[in-house]
Amino acid sequence: MIKFLKQVGDYAKEAVQSARYIGQGLSVTFDHMRRRPVTVQYPYEKLIPSERFRGRIHFEFDKCISCEVCVRVCPINLPVVDWEFDKATKKKKLNHYSIDFGVCIFCGNCVEYCPTNCLSMTEEYELSTYDRHMLNYDSVALGRLPYKVMDDPMVTPLRELGYLPKGITEPHDLPAGSRRAGARPEEILEK
Amino acid sequence: MNPGIDLQGTFIQTLRDLGLPAGAAKAIWMPLPMFLIIIGATVGVLVVVWLERKISAAVQQRIGPEFAGPLGVLQPVADGLKLVFKEDIVPAKSDPWLFTLGPILVVIPVFLSYLVVPFGQNLVITNLSVGIFLWIALSSIAPIGLLMSGYASNNKYSLLGGLRAAAQSISYEVPMALSVLAVVLMSNSLSTIDIVQQQSHYGILSWNVWRQPLGFLIFWIAALAECERLPFDLPEAEEELVAGYQTEYAGMKFGLFYIGSYVNLVLSSLLVAVLYLGGWETPVPIEFVGGLLGLNETSPWLQVIDAALGITMTVLKAYFLVFLAILLRWTLPRVRIDQLLNLGWKFLLPVSLVNLLLTAALKLAFPFAFGG
Repeated sequence: MIKFLKQVGDYAKEAVQSARYIGQGLSVTFDHMRRRPVTVQYPYEKLIPSERFRGRIHFEFDKCISCEVCVRVCPINLPVVDWEFDKATKKKKLNHYSIDFGVCIFCGNCVEYCPTNCLSMTEEYELSTYDRHMLNYDSVALGRLPYKVMDDPMVTPLRELGYLPKGITEPHDLPAGSRRAGARPEEILEK
Repeated sequence: MNPGIDLQGTFIQTLRDLGLPAGAAKAIWMPLPMFLIIIGATVGVLVVVWLERKISAAVQQRIGPEFAGPLGVLQPVADGLKLVFKEDIVPAKSDPWLFTLGPILVVIPVFLSYLVVPFGQNLVITNLSVGIFLWIALSSIAPIGLLMSGYASNNKYSLLGGLRAAAQSISYEVPMALSVLAVVLMSNSLSTIDIVQQQSHYGILSWNVWRQPLGFLIFWIAALAECERLPFDLPEAEEELVAGYQTEYAGMKFGLFYIGSYVNLVLSSLLVAVLYLGGWETPVPIEFVGGLLGLNETSPWLQVIDAALGITMTVLKAYFLVFLAILLRWTLPRVRIDQLLNLGWKFLLPVSLVNLLLTAALKLAFPFAFGG
């Protein structure tokens, strides 16, 4: 009999304990309701890409020496370099250059290894098209510069988490001129 | 206890003064409160859907609907319109009759149950002497509809979902009925009006929550399970299954399930308010305030205020419970089917039985406090 009562008591104790845990959980969810939403309302608000953002690749046609290093370092040999040997100047003459961004993984190896720095990463990431072949950028398309989020009058630019002042996790309504946490790169250089 | 305003009597008397026979006057009156309640229930659903989306968003630090109307209040209307205009698909090789009948059988009992929900002394469609029992009986029809739609879909997942939903509804009906029985024991009546009146003497102190804390918890848990709200929503389990018994449903037939589930949530909240939170009664009894201010409680304008306050209080209490249900949805993890049935049969059923026996014993021991 006493054993049975002890069992009932233990069971009741467990039930009360779990009810308290539920109460704790409820207080957490209730507390969340007064926090400001962290939503970035995309077409109207956009995050500013960080300076090392690996977006669509930019290509400068005149700098290219057709060495094909980009092709060799590419994991899938993606860049297409169409050149011919100019006998008069004894140099390679570049005819066409193209990268298919439907296949590219944006690893940045080509940018890293290009000897003349004619390849670079941009902050463009809105690459949607109706046809995957439209993602095959030729040298003209590769030479275009993206429109900056900061310059777009339709868009409210928002800072990413790493660019907010210390202790702030919310990019809306920042005071003007507020700095990111820690030293800026140029300040590190001065030291 | 003052009789309150008698809308029905006044309306019928006015028509009879205009020269109509008594029967015709009554026949003209009868559909009015029904339509009012159906419209009220539908609007209530729209509000609950909006609240659910907004509160869910707030809990997850999102914004939620905000472009359809101010603060997105028209979002549920837009959702409903979308469902109305969608193609009505009946799967090949399904049983078209049962497939159509299923959602109807789920929705109609829920709306019918509003018959016995009181919003004031005379603000109820019918004051049935078996009121709360009628609701329990009607809520047992829904599992048949669920089983029917699961079976008729000709889809093994729908069938499993339907079976689970039925098992859940049946196993939570028993503790729910037992906790209702404890309340009935205290108020000596099955009528919802009498149950509220029994709680009306000392304002918030005489509400049944204080005398039936266990019953209140059991009833609320069982109500959440009956409505398939989140800790117990495993038959449809949004994130894990396709949709349980609703898998094959689209368009307005799915819409019926959707409306049914939300009307059921509002209804359960209303009934918790009626059974345990004093229904239309204000926390401080209005007669007491009236007496303090030296007002005659039969004066017409005070009675109008009393009725309006009664409706507001009922709805306010119900929506507080709805808010609690939404908050619980984002707090608690989903239970497994075996945990669900264990909780129902091994925990809630014995506890509610003990609660019932305890109430009976207390009623014998302290008849003045527990309705002798």
